Amino acid sequence: MIFLIEYNRGKGIIVTFRDFDDSQRREAEDSRLGIELDLNRKGRKGIDHEVVLLEAASRDALLRTHGRYFKDLDDLLKSASQQGDGAGVSREPEFGAEAGR
Amino acid sequence: MIKDAFSRTQIDRLGDRLKGGSHTESDLRLLDDYRRSFGEAYETVVRTLRQRGEVPTGRLAKSTVSIAEKLRRESIRLSQMQDIAGCRIVVGNVVEQEQLVASLKADFPGASLIDRRDHPSHGYRAVHVIAEISGKPVEIQVRTSLQHMWANLSEKSSDVLDPTIKYGGGPDGWRDFLTKSSKSVATYEKFEKTHAEAVALNEVFEKSHSKAVSSHEVFEKATAELLEHHLPEHEVEEIRGKLEDSRLRIEGLSGKLEDSRLGRETSSKELVALWNGNADLLTGAITWLDKLKGQKQ
Repeated sequence: MIFLIEYNRGKGIIVTFRDFDDSQRREAEDSRLGIELDLNRKGRKGIDHEVVLLEAASRDALLRTHGRYFKDLDDLLKSASQQGDGAGVSREPEFGAEAGR
Repeated sequence: MIKDAFSRTQIDRLGDRLKGGSHTESDLRLLDDYRRSFGEAYETVVRTLRQRGEVPTGRLAKSTVSIAEKLRRESIRLSQMQDIAGCRIVVGNVVEQEQLVASLKADFPGASLIDRRDHPSHGYRAVHVIAEISGKPVEIQVRTSLQHMWANLSEKSSDVLDPTIKYGGGPDGWRDFLTKSSKSVATYEKFEKTHAEAVALNEVFEKSHSKAVSSHEVFEKATAELLEHHLPEHEVEEIRGKLEDSRLRIEGLSGKLEDSRLGRETSSKELVALWNGNADLLTGAITWLDKLKGQKQ
């Protein structure tokens, strides 16, 4: 799937989110350009938005690799502090139990 | 119609205008055409990764704002930028990261490697593999889950707290947390490799020990049967000697197995301690952020 994201950096929030089938790549690229042109017409400040096209197997896969767009700083910190299971030794049962404190 | 042949001068002049913030609508269209010219190279890289069972998230288009910022920040020209198209793979740990990077080097001969693990960029640690397909670079970011966690915190805080954080600036408390956390993750990952080696060694001894015990049991049974046949004394002695050798071999392996089990246990505990150190840093960062929010209210 292709995901079009317009992200307001300063506020840390997504302004536009659209998904496209893999076969709609051209349409996704045109939509991305359309947003950038529109922002440009509104003045330079508007272009501080990141307008990106990402391609992932699913929305969950996208969240895993590009969580920054979707989560606020608190959420990222909290999920990081519970990430013991994500660390390399999660295969060791004793680690998962103790590290997830 | 997408142009596929751009002169270097044309692209670098475009880069200069983006850098200076004086770009026009036609500049944005030209940049878009330039981005799309990486499409085939991008497809080749992503297809290869998927064929090997990886689940990359591809970035078809680097944002204009990111391109302009990179041009301002670094002394490169737009035509030299290697991450116009790229993708990211997050793996479980540093051992998997090394295995994947080795495979990527084989999949994309001539690919260049930027290893930021031993020499982090303002705390950022990861391995970037730059594959080149028909003269077009495509960046493959390979991060461990912990490197990714750190990068997310650095990038998000740069977005919402202070844009200089990503490049070593920002409030002292937060900067301090990111610096310590990056080092803590680096230490953890170094030890992760030691632990993986201890686990592998333990598995080898477990297999050898189990094989030796099975062989000994078969040998013991066969010996008992043979001894019922009233063999000459020297043959009995020989058989008993071999049986004793087999027993001693098991004893030796048992000792090594126990040592490797202890080594595995020790490295596992060490990893837990290292992770808990990082968890303490994260707790401190949560408190710091809460205080900051309290001051703003």
